[in-house]
Amino acid sequence: MDRSQNHIHGQSAANFCYQFGSDNPLLGMGIQQQFAPFTSPFGASSSTNIPHMDWNPATMLDNLTFIEDKIRQVKDVIRTMVDNGGQLPCRQGDLTQQQQVVNADLTCLIVQLISTAGSLLPSLKNSSFLSQPPAGHMDTVNHVGSSSSFIPNATTISEENKEDMCSPEDYEELFKGFTDGAMEGGIEIDNVFVEEQDAKDGDEGGDASMDGENLPPGSYELLQLEKDEILAPHTHFCSICGKGFKRDANLRMHMRGHGDEYKSPAALAKPPRDASVEHELVKRYSCPFVGCKRNKLHKNFQPLKTILCVKNHYKRSHCEKSYTCSRCHTKKFSVMADLKTHEKHCGRDKWLCSCGTSFSRKDKLFAHVALFQGHTPALPADETKNSSDQISRVGSHQEPAKFPSSMGSSFMWGTSSSDDRGLDVKGLAGCSEDILSTGNFGSFNFSFGPADGFTGEPSGSSFSVLPPEHFQSAQKKGKN
Amino acid sequence: MSREGQKLDYAAAGGNGAGGVGIGVLSLDLLGQVLDRLREPRDRKACRLVSRAFERAEATHRRALRVLRREPLPRLLRAFPSLERLDLSACASLDDASLSAAIAAAGAGGLAGLRRVCLARASGVGWRGLEALVAACPRLEAVDLSHCVGAGDREVAALAAAAGLRELRLDKCLAVTDMGLAKVVVGCPRLEKLSVKWCREISDIGIDLLAKKCPELRSLNISYLKVGNGSLRSISTLEKLEELAMVGCSCIDDEGLELLSKGTDSLQSVDVSRCDHVTYQGLASLIDGRKFLQKLHAADCLHEIGQRFVSKLATLKETLTALKLDGLEVSDSLLQAIGEGCNKLVEIGLSKCSGVTDEGISSLVARCSDLRTIDLTCCNLITNNALDSIADNCKMLECLRLESCSLINEKGLERIANCCPNLKEIDLTDCGVNDAALQHLAKCSELRTLKLGLCSSISDKGIAFISSNCGNLVELDLYRCNSITDDGLAALVNGCKKIKLLNLCYCNKITDSGLGHLGSLEELTNLELRCLVRITGIGISSIATGCKSLIELDLKRCYSVDDAGLGALARNAFNLRQLTISYCQVTGLGLCHLLSSLRCLQDIKMVHLSWVSIEGFEIALRAACGRLKKLKMLNGLKTVLSPELLQMLHACGCRIRWVDKPLVYKDC
Repeated sequence: MDRSQNHIHGQSAANFCYQFGSDNPLLGMGIQQQFAPFTSPFGASSSTNIPHMDWNPATMLDNLTFIEDKIRQVKDVIRTMVDNGGQLPCRQGDLTQQQQVVNADLTCLIVQLISTAGSLLPSLKNSSFLSQPPAGHMDTVNHVGSSSSFIPNATTISEENKEDMCSPEDYEELFKGFTDGAMEGGIEIDNVFVEEQDAKDGDEGGDASMDGENLPPGSYELLQLEKDEILAPHTHFCSICGKGFKRDANLRMHMRGHGDEYKSPAALAKPPRDASVEHELVKRYSCPFVGCKRNKLHKNFQPLKTILCVKNHYKRSHCEKSYTCSRCHTKKFSVMADLKTHEKHCGRDKWLCSCGTSFSRKDKLFAHVALFQGHTPALPADETKNSSDQISRVGSHQEPAKFPSSMGSSFMWGTSSSDDRGLDVKGLAGCSEDILSTGNFGSFNFSFGPADGFTGEPSGSSFSVLPPEHFQSAQKKGKN
Repeated sequence: MSREGQKLDYAAAGGNGAGGVGIGVLSLDLLGQVLDRLREPRDRKACRLVSRAFERAEATHRRALRVLRREPLPRLLRAFPSLERLDLSACASLDDASLSAAIAAAGAGGLAGLRRVCLARASGVGWRGLEALVAACPRLEAVDLSHCVGAGDREVAALAAAAGLRELRLDKCLAVTDMGLAKVVVGCPRLEKLSVKWCREISDIGIDLLAKKCPELRSLNISYLKVGNGSLRSISTLEKLEELAMVGCSCIDDEGLELLSKGTDSLQSVDVSRCDHVTYQGLASLIDGRKFLQKLHAADCLHEIGQRFVSKLATLKETLTALKLDGLEVSDSLLQAIGEGCNKLVEIGLSKCSGVTDEGISSLVARCSDLRTIDLTCCNLITNNALDSIADNCKMLECLRLESCSLINEKGLERIANCCPNLKEIDLTDCGVNDAALQHLAKCSELRTLKLGLCSSISDKGIAFISSNCGNLVELDLYRCNSITDDGLAALVNGCKKIKLLNLCYCNKITDSGLGHLGSLEELTNLELRCLVRITGIGISSIATGCKSLIELDLKRCYSVDDAGLGALARNAFNLRQLTISYCQVTGLGLCHLLSSLRCLQDIKMVHLSWVSIEGFEIALRAACGRLKKLKMLNGLKTVLSPELLQMLHACGCRIRWVDKPLVYKDC
């Protein structure tokens, strides 16, 4: 099965790569002309070259007819499978072969459906159904402005090569191509998902000095997104219901809800990086804020490396800090991830100095203490309370040390005072029956319990059960 | 009692009898000077008891005090107002309350002169007690808090209030972190000696602050800390540092030693034992920078030694006095190079070094005539020839360790005994020596420590030889010398009256009459009698009544010892601090009696006391609660003893080791 698939994939790879090569929207300039030579198997010559953002009812009809035919074919195949299965167990090879055929057909159907539906999408967006910026806006974006025009080309899939479709990679590519293409103007490119995983790169990651590849101007393709695009919350949209997502992976998860065909491992797999990207000119981004060092007009312009960098940079540098830390209520952030990072540490492990300054890190506190004469770290207050609790508990359990004579004489074992006559044999014999029987521990508890003699002592009061104020004053003293 | 003591005794008695013309007329100062010259505490006690004048003189003059129980502590602190050194390490059941009360009883200024306090293993003392102590002792200079495993930042912070502190030991204060250390170094900037061994929470950050805040530091111990090379960089800035111990710091490597070498020439002693990542290269660069090293301990860390190290070592020719290379694979040429390069050596450690031969030893000692300590433990290739060359060259020899060197015999030892009259310590464990060897060794009248474990051919005759001339013997190890009988012990106590440590484990011919002889050893402090199956309560009672100084007693697997023995201990062995009675035939009654009577007992091991009921354990432990610091018991008891008892024990600073061992009776 695997081998056959690989084989099929080998056959078809070139085909699809070419056909969906435009899935990277940044490649899209002038691609429309390239598509012209393709002819539809349905003969509808006009349908192959659908201009940006409108759809042809004739093509649509063709597509739907094709889908209908296809469904009928698949139904037939499955019906024969059911019949065979009812009679006698057919050979394994036959079965897998049939399944393969069905899979291929279904895949083809899905593609058709998506492309048909997908061609609707621009119009949906256009009608401001989604919060995407208006299409006209795209014109201001340098070089960015790919069309989704390849979508009808999906219809070029002929019946001859429909088996080829079963290769998962191909399907993924197709799928990716679709989703990206569907983002009209497709600012988000396919590798954004990867980059968002290491979001910590931040915009500084694009710093030329940081990444080591100090590209000379002109050696890269410079793009500048507009504010609205930068701040657009979603970049991946469901072609069926229009719901927006920040991550392609989440969109793929979402697609499962639209039918079983989206649940196949192939549909859920991460789209592979486009091999052709490597040969591309490296892309760098410019911040739309004029005067910013990251703006291309700046004399010491330093480009940003990825779209994510653009987004984070723009939000951090040129937007209001709208997220406030819920713990300290002072720190504000414009990027949610920054807030979350801060909140992880905020308020926890406060390293305190005797002067009242607090530090988030121990080494910072120690550097401070090293710098200023007389400053000393302050121990956390809760620790004080715990240890005092423990001590007072101990104190109350223990027999008073200084008054052997005042000890409860009920418990002679513990009292063994200054001379060795404290425990005479007679006493031992007298107690032994009681002591060795079980129910007798109450009396011992009693003898260990009271610590009255101990608190009565003038010095004892300073350590027996101390009021909390004492600790505070002691701490203050320590500070001075 | 020593001779001076006896003389004074007579004088005091005579003086009082003759109506005030004796001791009483001497001024307190003079009497104080007399007392200062008495070394043995027993003699001082005798003087105190016999004459009021001496008692008064001692009261005003006494500088040092070691307290064994907490009850008399307030009275003692009142009685000796000019104390400078107070040792509370053995004080049973000392806690915050009793310590603070005693300090309060001493009154204002009562402890004003106190300079040194030892609170080692006083696990019941917390920060309140320490705060009270520091507040009452403005001149406090040294505090030893080692092995107070519960002590943490708060306790150490209490000490930080003693601004004049110069010495501080915090070994194994497990809860001390960088914060506690920071408190101390800020509070006590004049610190000269500091040990934070085993304080595993302390990191590079803390050490860095220490180096910045305590420029007076002379001695520092950071053994077993998880600190790295960064700490050594900070430490190298300490201009007065003389001693640095960093045993078992596995995060330190050659790079760190390189950093350490960049400092002043004050450093004299470095211990990098068991630092797994240190090699000879690092040590070579250290020697390169620190040209006045006197002691270099590199035990169990080196695997090989290169020429670079040897040549650097030679640059320390004039200074190096101690070198430890335990566990290293050495060659004759290396030993020769050491001998030629460092001929001022006083101490050499080659324990467990493979490849140590007679030739190597003879070329080592040929130039090192100052050697006093030679450790050849487990160098099992050496023979009498090595001993001959040692004897010929090292006339000053004081300590020779030859454990497991089974090729040596009486001939070699004869040479040693004849040529090294200063020999004080010799370890012949597992060397298979015989009575003849002891006959030769008996010539060394200075002998203090003699270890003869596993030499089963030694008999009563050999012991008699030792006893005839080695009257200064303090420690004797006869572990598994199972030819020794009661007669041998009789001979021993005849000559060696000063024995403090005696090990007779598995010498299973010994009976009660032998222990009867031991009863005359008044100074005996540690006695191990493991698996002496013939001894009973009678023998134990003669020890208990005779050996008044007994501190540690091991009776494990003495199957015939019963309640009578424990009763005798309970009535007489008041100084007993550690006791092992595992597998003895004692009952709950005996145990209760013992634990309630012995007020100094802090550590008891009682595994497999099959005759003691749960109630027996419960009551006995309740009776001793507050005093016990360490307990070893069967795991099964953990669940049946009442939780409040365990909680109480824990709260008093007692650690319990629960063991799971099957009950097996062994004959030896």
